Amino acid sequence: MTGEIIRVEGLTVGAREGVLLKDISLEIPERKIVCVIGPSGSGKTIFLRCFNRFIDFNEGLKARGRIMFEGVNILDDSVDVTELRTKVGMITQKPSPLPMSVYDNVAYGPRIHGVGDKAALDGIVKESLSHAALWDELKNRLGEPAARLSIGQQQRLSLARLLAVKPKVLLCDEATSALDPVSSRKIEDQIMKLGRDYTIIMSTHNIHQAKRLADHVIYLYLGSLIEHGPAKELFHNPKHERTKAYIKGEYYEDYTVDQELDLREYGTPVNFLKVKEAIDGLRQEQVLRVVVNTREALRDLPRGLETDGHKIIHRKQISEHDWEIVVRKTE
Amino acid sequence: MEWRRLEEEAFKTAGFLSVSLVLLCLLAMIAAVLLKGLPALSVEMITETPRSGFYLGGGGGVLNAIVGSIYLAAGGTALAFVMSLPTALFLQREYSGGGRIAEAVRLVLDILWGVPSIVYGAFGFIIMLSLGLRASLLGGIISLAFVVFPIMTRSIDEILQTVPQDLKEVSYAVGATRFETTWSVTLRQAAPGILTGIIIAFGRGIGDAASILFTAGYTDKVPSSLMEPAASLPLAIFFQFGTPFQGVQERAYASAVILLVVILVLTSAARMLGKASRRNMIV
Repeated sequence: MTGEIIRVEGLTVGAREGVLLKDISLEIPERKIVCVIGPSGSGKTIFLRCFNRFIDFNEGLKARGRIMFEGVNILDDSVDVTELRTKVGMITQKPSPLPMSVYDNVAYGPRIHGVGDKAALDGIVKESLSHAALWDELKNRLGEPAARLSIGQQQRLSLARLLAVKPKVLLCDEATSALDPVSSRKIEDQIMKLGRDYTIIMSTHNIHQAKRLADHVIYLYLGSLIEHGPAKELFHNPKHERTKAYIKGEYYEDYTVDQELDLREYGTPVNFLKVKEAIDGLRQEQVLRVVVNTREALRDLPRGLETDGHKIIHRKQISEHDWEIVVRKTE
Repeated sequence: MEWRRLEEEAFKTAGFLSVSLVLLCLLAMIAAVLLKGLPALSVEMITETPRSGFYLGGGGGVLNAIVGSIYLAAGGTALAFVMSLPTALFLQREYSGGGRIAEAVRLVLDILWGVPSIVYGAFGFIIMLSLGLRASLLGGIISLAFVVFPIMTRSIDEILQTVPQDLKEVSYAVGATRFETTWSVTLRQAAPGILTGIIIAFGRGIGDAASILFTAGYTDKVPSSLMEPAASLPLAIFFQFGTPFQGVQERAYASAVILLVVILVLTSAARMLGKASRRNMIV
């Protein structure tokens, strides 16, 4: 069991329009691949941008709480952000090479951190490109403008540029979402290998990718931490209904039941009439929960309700013989 | 369906007509200058300074004005660039926060852009008087720098604003400072556009007569120091037109041809340079 490298305590990010991250506390394990999952708009990118203080570039956003890394709260104003960013590097969704040659792109970081020796730079460039699975493809094209590379190569170049400064933590914000499946797979393979030596925090909305890569998973929903833990546990035995639904790729909707109806005593067609009567008594958008105990009712009732234009939120087995059907009145 | 096709056609026609009109005006102007000026153009015009009686139809050329104009415009553009680049950088979000100060400075620059250059000339003249300076190349360069400063600064400012934040973040992401990012990424990416800004400013500077009328003076000699007065092509054209002699007036057109060629040669050279700087640009 490895220790934690980062501890997040009560992280809250607010904007004028509202709160984007709500009171998040968790630990990031060292030298593991940590996947941050959740639907669009759940705050994954903002969450990642807190770790290298890129949040500073988001106008109007204010992060409160603490992120402890190497004994320092990195959200503190006194933190030297350039030093922090040397240790916590980031690649973004859209591959963006610098306006210079392939070689200069990789050498960019080491140069600004004081490596001037040509032989040393050559070594770093070769090593970094190799770790990004680009050396063989590009060793004869080092002088070419990076803008001429394919999108997939550009993203691997971003990875190489980052590795050249030897950070401790790599932040990958949807690093493969703009890529084709083959390029995407190449990046994934490298991330998998790098996970032994680096702590990698990557956000993804691709649940399959998270399953392939993650050692540890953080599930965010609308700015709240719903659940986090080792990947095996979270994927096979999620504690929260919402996590379960997200992992299965199901639609999950918040609802409060306005009326309950127990139809276990009734058969067709009485149960139909009862449901109709109950639904008629509801206002638009209100929710009815129906409990049934026959296969026929489970099959036919929702079908009838949907024909009338109502929306079935879900059907679920609640005990050995009993099933619940939750429906929202919409006409 | 019919209406949409018509709209499309109307728009295309309007665009074609306005472009034709502009091109026609430009061609007519160049043709007029060439027709009138070419017969009077001679090797003597560009290799000699005015001999005695030049403005009465005597021999000589406008070498003094050619060299003077290049000195004035190049000096003025260079001086303005030294001030423009830092100003334009300051206007960017990462330096001034892009808030009210930046907007206020932009407004002031836009107003200055519209101020007639004779006002800069008069302003420069007052300063020179109070410092006890005579009309000189230096005075002209400073006045021209004032004229082109707002133009250059706003052009560079607009270009810098187009450098994507994503690109700068790539640099910050490996621990670069603000200066390193500006120097190695922003300016590199913006280089072709900055060059265009300089060319526009230079073109404006070399064609300006009013601001240097009092400040640079006029002379028949090629200036050999910054403190000597300097001639310029626009003023040479003006003085030659002012004479009642037809032959001298024709040489005014010839001087205009020379001015056109100088601008053409210098801007083409700058554009060639610009091509090289475009190589690494991220599009």
